[in-house]
Amino acid sequence: MKKLDSILLKIFLYGIPVATACAIFSYSYGPEFLKHATGYVRLLYNLAGLVLAFWMMLALYLSVRLLISGSFRDKVLAKLTFIRERDEREVVLTGKATKTTFLTSLAILIFLFFLSCFQVSIYRVSPGKAVDGKTGAISLGLGFSLLESSKQANPNDTMQKKDLFSYTGLPISTTAVILVLIIWQIISYNYSMRRLSRSIEGDMLK
Amino acid sequence: MQIMSKCLPKIKIANRLHVLRAEHRMTQEQLAKEVGVTRATIVAIEGGGYNPSLELAFRLARYFKTDLNTIFSIEEGSK
Repeated sequence: MKKLDSILLKIFLYGIPVATACAIFSYSYGPEFLKHATGYVRLLYNLAGLVLAFWMMLALYLSVRLLISGSFRDKVLAKLTFIRERDEREVVLTGKATKTTFLTSLAILIFLFFLSCFQVSIYRVSPGKAVDGKTGAISLGLGFSLLESSKQANPNDTMQKKDLFSYTGLPISTTAVILVLIIWQIISYNYSMRRLSRSIEGDMLK
Repeated sequence: MQIMSKCLPKIKIANRLHVLRAEHRMTQEQLAKEVGVTRATIVAIEGGGYNPSLELAFRLARYFKTDLNTIFSIEEGSK
């Protein structure tokens, strides 16, 4: 299993440029272009699709292996995050840096959770619906839904109003949030590790 | 760790590793290889920035054919 994982990982890594090229090719020659394409281009298009599908399946398989296999996770993620545990001191530093990274990531997640829950809207209503002659209104709310599709429209939306400012959750996509968190974890870990190493050197100079 | 440090005063551990190393005419790199750690760890121990584990402490003592008290001691003034 370890050997198979290792081979598949190499195929996945070396396949990144090929998969990127295939994706660009497939994107450039869309289905509309393909109707008038020659047999050779059509064959290349299908081949690119197959390569891309294989690479994506490989990505999914390796992601699952990362979740369930401890040794595979250690091997791959240690390289990806530049973790070095050559002796006991580095193991201690890794633990401290990982703790810092975990807590800061958790803080970011809590922050993002509240940002995604909050709903703020500043708007003007029609003069007929004005309260005490005031047409400006501010609406605050909390929204939480398990599924993206189950988000319900705010009943206030049906009112005739002119939005001045409206915030109904994070404007960035889920994919972007996940990517930012992955990058954050790698940067935070390496920064903490460097800071801890320096603090030990600093202690020695005292 | 923070709870512990609130209850108990911190003990500063001094060591004579650099003296023993000098007596044996060894470089930090050589000693690190002998006890299976990196040079940075030897540097950190000698500078007092890192306290080794019991296992490493015993490995150092065994290498220098001495006991732990010869290498490590509680620094005067800290209890």
